Amino acid sequence: MAAQVGIEKRIIAASAVFVVAVSGVIFLTVRLFGIGLPTCLTDVRPFREAQVLQHAPDRYEIHYVARMWRFEPAEVAVRPGSTVDIYLSTADVTHGMQIVGTNVNLMAIPGAVNYARVKLDKAGEYLVVCNEYCGLAHHNMAAKIRVTDEAEDLGGPEPAAPQVTGGAKILDDNGCTACHSLDGSESVGGTFKGLYGSTRTMADGATVVADDAYIRESIVDPEAKVVQGLDPLMPPVSLTDADLNAVIEYLKTLR
Amino acid sequence: MRSVALPYTRIDVEPGLKKIILFEIFFPMVLLVLGIAMGFLQVLYRAGIIHAQSFLGIEYYQGLTLHGTINAIVFTTFFAVAFGHAVIRFYTNKPLHLGAAWTSLILMTLGTLMAAVPMLTGSASVLYTFYPPLKAHPAFYFGLVFVVIGSWIAFFSWIPQTLRWKRENPEAKMPMAVLGIYATFIVWFIATIPVAVEIIFLLIPWSLGWTQTVNVPLARMLFWFFGHPLVYFWLLPAYVMYYTMLPKLAGGKLYSDFAGRFTFLWLIAFSAPIGIHHQYTEPAISTTWKAIHAFFTLLVAIPSLVTAFTMAASMEHGARQRGGSGLFGWWGKLPYLDRDRWMFGYLFAGLFLFIFGGITGIVNASYNLDNVVHNTAWLPAHFHQTVAGPVFLAFIGGSLLLLTTLTGRQVALKSINVLVPYIWSLGIMVFSTGLFVGGVAGEPRRTNLGLSYTNPDSPLFQADWSFSRVFGAIGGSIMFAAMLLYFVVFFATLLGKKTSQSTLELPVSEPYHDEDVPAVQSLRPWIVAAVILLFIAYTVPFMELARARYEGAPPYSPGSPVAQSQ
Repeated sequence: MAAQVGIEKRIIAASAVFVVAVSGVIFLTVRLFGIGLPTCLTDVRPFREAQVLQHAPDRYEIHYVARMWRFEPAEVAVRPGSTVDIYLSTADVTHGMQIVGTNVNLMAIPGAVNYARVKLDKAGEYLVVCNEYCGLAHHNMAAKIRVTDEAEDLGGPEPAAPQVTGGAKILDDNGCTACHSLDGSESVGGTFKGLYGSTRTMADGATVVADDAYIRESIVDPEAKVVQGLDPLMPPVSLTDADLNAVIEYLKTLR
Repeated sequence: MRSVALPYTRIDVEPGLKKIILFEIFFPMVLLVLGIAMGFLQVLYRAGIIHAQSFLGIEYYQGLTLHGTINAIVFTTFFAVAFGHAVIRFYTNKPLHLGAAWTSLILMTLGTLMAAVPMLTGSASVLYTFYPPLKAHPAFYFGLVFVVIGSWIAFFSWIPQTLRWKRENPEAKMPMAVLGIYATFIVWFIATIPVAVEIIFLLIPWSLGWTQTVNVPLARMLFWFFGHPLVYFWLLPAYVMYYTMLPKLAGGKLYSDFAGRFTFLWLIAFSAPIGIHHQYTEPAISTTWKAIHAFFTLLVAIPSLVTAFTMAASMEHGARQRGGSGLFGWWGKLPYLDRDRWMFGYLFAGLFLFIFGGITGIVNASYNLDNVVHNTAWLPAHFHQTVAGPVFLAFIGGSLLLLTTLTGRQVALKSINVLVPYIWSLGIMVFSTGLFVGGVAGEPRRTNLGLSYTNPDSPLFQADWSFSRVFGAIGGSIMFAAMLLYFVVFFATLLGKKTSQSTLELPVSEPYHDEDVPAVQSLRPWIVAAVILLFIAYTVPFMELARARYEGAPPYSPGSPVAQSQ
């Protein structure tokens, strides 16, 4: 019997050796190749301003803001062979950020800032995906990094983006543009381009002209009339009368 | 100490307990029909076959929430409690405390229904991990709490029973199955304390609007403190079936009694201090502690490797008793398609899947390798080879086993039933192959890919992800077909004619090597080790979170990018 107990014990010992060997290999990859994991940054405050900084021809720093349902900046161009420091903060819920084809895979956690460094050697386009569920349009949340010789020399901080004002700013502040595009491109809730004054077909087959009253109602009580082919996913948005008017005036310009 | 052979092979069960166990099998099985249908829809959405935000009135992420919650939380917890009742009743041969068993059943059922309402009405589309600051309706959180408390009550009611059995049998080893059930519920109890803290002190007050913000890094650490031992809570009842039923079904004996006890006790100690391996890519936790959890995580691979060895050795013993010979020839002598030993197939197929699930689990655990696969389709591929492999097959097989013995019925459609585990496993293998490849290519998990990345009309379309689309959809369809067959068998059995006395009969394996190793005869030192390891693993990470004072987050609805004002 004693010899037989030995077999089981040898199996346990062999398993333990395997575990220690795997741990050793991991340790070596961290030490020799510097492939690590994100760590605890306690000295960087969460930020809401996206930025691309260029410190040298091949040294960049990108401050990504993840928000439902987009990354800012949506597109960045860098030179081949650049080393890029990536800081990630979220403006709302938890997001994930993977630069496909690299080792950059970060969680964006409310309250904390995440960080990784990546060297982008190959020219081409890298897809940046949100890989943590962040709400009903999560599948649309992506960005791009272009690695190209034609990357513009930024020569320091990028000039601040022009301030959107009036109706456009209200749409942006209330997250409307997460589901409604402004330029006619396909989006979850349909585009705003050409909406005003158009004839809309509802789920029940009725047609409605998108006038002031219709737009007002669709914002305040979106389930009152649902456009055919769309799901009733939109939450009611409470805006002041002045803001509603500003939005309508703005939509009139998007012909 | 020695193993004592049971003087009986079946026992009579009080009608009350029979009702309780049968309800705990039947109720989640009905929900599972919905959970499985939601799983099938997932692969259709991801492949772009369903090209929409919702289908049949259920939104994609709402369906994903239902799929995860029903299959992984409700079905598993109900089965673990029902199986626990059966094992404790069978091996101690003493009536259980029926009042406690009824209370447990009522609380779990009530909790399930409470959580089901907001999920079905779309006000809890937060997935079964419910990460804040996405917020569900408070009823969802209350429901989960009731399910957990109900399962605790069942566990507590077994303790006096077992102690009495021990007093009456001072020289006997605790039966392996009883030890396994205790391991299951000790792991569950340890795991559910942090998640109870998360839900009761952080999420419920916040979802009711009593607190304005929630500390997300803290909530996440508490969740994964629960989330990983949770998977051992799923796995351990399957291990009980492996160690106590499979050798007997294979025609032989359990190769090593010591290996089984070692496995159960080791999992008590090491299943909890490893949760941070789910948080490798997060900020707010230092790499030192990620590395320590990585090492502990690899240590829980040991019992799985030991189990792989012991099961192969036990099956070899069984096969040789049945006339098998040669170095590999004995593999041909196992009852793969034996209609009357159909449970063998459910357990064997699960073990086969677990080989791949185990290896890919080591990949996930391996610290920096996680950079490549974190949050990608690789993960669902891995856990469908574990949770939806050995665990799920053992649980649906076990459900059928308890149903037949307690109602005195024969399995209906035996020739179909015997194929179910193999069809299911084929589906899992095809599905997982697709998702492994997709995951390494960067395809995200939990994502309605059909609307963007696998939609040729979308600017986000990824042509090279089509392999996983096709394999995912084909594999998922095979899995769905297997489950349709299973449901037909299950409900046909339920509605079939009673052919024998209602009784409780479980396959019981005797040990081949009945070693007397004192270190595995008592639970106490292993529970103490578990508590010490938890303090080692979590004290500093929690202090780091407390010191950093991360600002809180207001609640968000999954449907709106604007924070909900209170």
